[in-house]
Formats: sequence, C-alpha cells, structure tokens
Amino acid sequence: MSDTVQWDKTVSDVNEGILKGVEGRPHPTYYIALVFALTLLAIGITGWGLIISFGIGLSGKSSPVYWGTFITDFVFWVGIGHAGTLISAILFLFRAKWRNSINRSAEAMTVFAVITAGLFPLIHMGRVWNGFWTLPLPNTNNMWVNFRSPLLWDVFAISTYLTVSLLFWYMGLVPDIASLRDRVKGFKRFVYGILSLGWTGNIRQWHHYETGYGFLAALSTPLVLSVHSIVSWDFAMALQPGWHTTIFPPYFVAGAILSGCAMVYNLVVPVRKMFRLEGFIKEEHLEACLKLTLLTSTIVAYAYAIEFFVAWYSGNYYEWAIFKGRATGPYSFYFWTMTFCNCVFPLLLWSRKIRYNIPVAMVICFLINIGMWFERYNIVISSLAEDFLPGSWGHYEPSIIDMCMTFGSFGWFFTWFLIFTKFFPFVSMSELKLIMPKPLRRKPTH
Amino acid sequence: MTTKTAGILALFDYLDDVEAALETIKGRPEFKDHILYSHTSYHELVHHAEERYGPSQVRWFTLTGALTGATTGFWLPILCDLDFPLIVGGKTPAFSSLPPNVIFIFELFVLFGALATILGMLWLGRLGNPHARILDNRLMDDKFGIFVPGARVDGEEASLLKSQGAFEIKKTS
Repeated sequence: MSDTVQWDKTVSDVNEGILKGVEGRPHPTYYIALVFALTLLAIGITGWGLIISFGIGLSGKSSPVYWGTFITDFVFWVGIGHAGTLISAILFLFRAKWRNSINRSAEAMTVFAVITAGLFPLIHMGRVWNGFWTLPLPNTNNMWVNFRSPLLWDVFAISTYLTVSLLFWYMGLVPDIASLRDRVKGFKRFVYGILSLGWTGNIRQWHHYETGYGFLAALSTPLVLSVHSIVSWDFAMALQPGWHTTIFPPYFVAGAILSGCAMVYNLVVPVRKMFRLEGFIKEEHLEACLKLTLLTSTIVAYAYAIEFFVAWYSGNYYEWAIFKGRATGPYSFYFWTMTFCNCVFPLLLWSRKIRYNIPVAMVICFLINIGMWFERYNIVISSLAEDFLPGSWGHYEPSIIDMCMTFGSFGWFFTWFLIFTKFFPFVSMSELKLIMPKPLRRKPTH
Repeated sequence: MTTKTAGILALFDYLDDVEAALETIKGRPEFKDHILYSHTSYHELVHHAEERYGPSQVRWFTLTGALTGATTGFWLPILCDLDFPLIVGGKTPAFSSLPPNVIFIFELFVLFGALATILGMLWLGRLGNPHARILDNRLMDDKFGIFVPGARVDGEEASLLKSQGAFEIKKTS
C-alpha cells in the first residue's frame, strides 16, 4: 500500500511537521470540538450524579429488562476499542505499512474507549464505591468471586486488555516523546523528560525495543480476538432466546472491528485537518482503513443473515419468535437502522470514488457507528424484553438519564482524545519514517 | 546511554553512509566501544545491533512472565474455590470447574507476559534513567550518529568517519 504512496515530504520533515501541532496552536475548530466534548461530559456527570443521589431506578431499568443502555454502551465502547490493537498488533505482524500513519491515533482511541467502557459496569452497579467487589480480594466473609461467571471473565478480559493496550501505546510513544523532549524547554522538557524514560535512540535501545514490540504485538493479537469473544459470552452463556448462540464470538469480533475502523476514520479525518497532517496521513492510508471497514461490514452482514437462518432452520420456536419480533415488533426501528447502517450504506465503499471522497466516507462511517450502537441495543433489549414466558414480557425505552449517560460517555471519550492530540504526537513519527523513502545518498538500483 | 566518557560524535545524513561506516569500523579495536544512534529502527541498523550484541534477551523476560501468568491463572481460581466456605448449588465446597479457568490462564498469560516484556525492554535498554545523556538533539530528528568514546576530533577515528560521509564531527565531554 505505502509503496504506492506518492510522498511529498521527506523523513526530515516528519518531526517538524507533526510536532508543530503539539508545540503551536491548533486550528480553532479544535477548541470548538473541545468545548463540545466538555459539554457532553458535563451532561454525563450530571446524569451519573443523579443516579448516585437517587438510585439506579432513574435509568428506567425494570423487570424484565435489567440490562439497558448501560450494557449497550459498555459493549459499544469495548467494540470501538478493538480497532486500535487490531491496527497496531495484527497489522504490524502482517507488515501492513499503511497502519504506520494511523496506528498511534487508533491505539489512543483504544485506550480511551476501553476506559469509557469500563465505567459502565460500575455505573450499572449503582453503588460504584463497591466496584472492587468484582476483584478476587481477600475479605472478612471469605466470599470469593464466582470464577464460573462470564461477568468475572469480563473483569479479567477488560482489565488485561486495557493494561496491555496502554503499555503498547505508551512504549510506542516513548521514542516520539524523546523527540519532543529535545525540542521544548522549561517545565515541558522536565515532564517529557520523565515520560521519555531517558530514551536516547541508541541502537541497543532500538534492538530491545523492536524485539519487545514484536512480542507485545504477538501477545496482543489473540487478546484482541478474545476480548470481544468474552464480552459476547455475557450473552451467549445465558439461555435467553436470541443470545444463546455459538456464532456470537466471531460475530461480535467482526462487529467490533467494523465500528472501531469506522471510529478511527471519524477521528483521524478531523484531527488530520486541525493539526495540518495531510502530508503525513495520506488519502491512500485512509482508503486502506475504509477497505477494512468494508470487509468487516460484509462479515457482519453475513452474520446477521446466518443468525436469522439458524433461528428459522433450528426449528426452535422461541428463537424464531425473537428474530421475527426484532424485524417486525416494537424494536423494529432499531433493527432496520442497524441493518441499513451496518450492511447497506457501507456497500457504497465498493466504489473507489467514494473511498476517496472524504466527506461522504465520513458520513458512512458515522452511520456505521450509529448502526453498531443500535446493534448492541437490539441484542440486549429485544431478548430481555420478550423471553420464554409471555407473562413476564415487558417493554423498555431509554430514559432521559440513560441518554445523558450515553452522550456523556462520548463527551468523556472525546475529551481525553482531544487532550491527547494536543500534548502528544498524533502520528507515530518513528514508525512513519519507516514507510517513507529512506534517506539515502545513493539512489537504490532496482 | 548513560556513559559520561568523553569522545567524538560523528553525525550522518544518510542511512547508506552510516551502513558503510559501520562496515568500515567493524573489528577495529579503536572503535570497539562505539555507540550507534538512529532516529528510527531501520532494519539495516537493527541487524547491525543483532550482529554486535546477539539476539535480544527480552524474549526470556516474555517467556518467564507468560509462564508465571499462566501458572497464576491456573491456581488462582482453584485456590479461591478451595477456600470457599459455602455450599453452592448443592455442590460440595472446594468444587472447581476447569474449563472456565482456561480464560484466567489465558488472560494472565498475556498480562504477565506483556508486563515482563516491558520490564525487559526497560532493563536491557537501560531505560528509566532520568540522567540519560543526550549527545545531540538532531539524533532524534533525522540524523544518525556514531559515538566513539576516547577519540579526539583531530584523531584518526574522526578522519575515518569523515571519509565515510559524516557531515560533522563534534566533541562530547
């Protein structure tokens, strides 16, 4: 991919061009975006404050739907967190060069998305201060956590994923922070000096760094695939119709990568403009991201179709009733929104012209993110609302507080992301240099 | 590198010049302790490091961490189950189911493996040193450097590096 990129910049332009945004002032739209994110965050904090003050009942959850938008948000954000490590680790092992221009932003997205996701089980507990009860810690009652519960598997999976993603991201940042350290003065130099861990760029450091980075990528690769598989078991391990199905792990992983890639695109395009990085994140790199989005969209569409087919073919009355209900019942709006956003609109990306049309591609990726949120909503709510016993059926719609928390989570995520873009290099400079033409005195002969 | 030894730093613009210089100085006793600097991990230079220092020992850190994690993941649920005081679902206390434990074995395998890898990178790369010596700011930008401890700017080592394409030789103390 990057072999065919026409670079109008050289290796010598990289540090200057990328760190200009960190050292100087970004485009005014950056501040507008930050204010917008902080406003959403304030809405979320207000919602959470009300829940803590008055109780979890404010969130509109009641029999039979005890998992509402909070779990929808949790699964959505874990899904968003998938593309980062996929792009960093899996594409690194496959030597996909285009990842070098967007891996940093994707990793940052992963870290902040997983932090956001981790908030929702705590919020859902109501008494957030008892969150540590989910950990296997010695206590006076000698009551250990239930190691056979998928919810505990989640605790381990998400915390491991967050830790490993954070380490992967930070180790990738170290050489770039060292570059930044050598350019700034005063207090900034002190802070970046600590964060750069004394990196000097000597070959011994690079030698161990490269080996370690490879091992981290190798360890992260199965982790990416396992995390959303484990999240899917929150549902698949239950006997609830519509949930108890073996297709869930690969279906969830494909959906996660779809939403993650779409979110990477939605984040990279505006920041590329705000920090004037068009010379480093080329349109070819963005196009490659869209190709991955298209691929995962087709996998997701196939999974949707197979789910329906199996529900019908199995002859299981309850399973088929749930699926018919999803398409034609009270939640059909969510179902069709998800289908169109995740399976139909992305088909436009088959056109090369559209892949290179950034505004249109932005809209498609935005719709995919909406569709993926609705997919999780559809899975969580429709199965819970109408299970085996018609006598226990109910209906659920998100309350105002639920919506506050959902929008607040976007505010929380975007605030962290925007702070990151201002204080750290948005593009991995040391890795970007590897896909640019090498600084050679003698022109290569081949 | 943390060395405070005085010497010279030869700065290069081009990757092929540095490669040629490294070939030239290979095996020469006066360059025995040279240190190469680069702004990124070009394969050619990392290969040079592998020849000089041997394969990175980070792998042993990873293996040790991963195996420790897997062992912890295996025993943690079992020991907690053994310690559980209540009868749950009619099953006797100390009932432990192995299939779900595979998840903990896997997660801690990855977690401890990753943590140990980072420790290995930090330890072997001599990172975490707040007093690290920065020889030249351009080394993190777009230049390559070869530091030769004990050499002088007007010495033979400097002339040799200059002849290999170094655009600047500077004294470091």
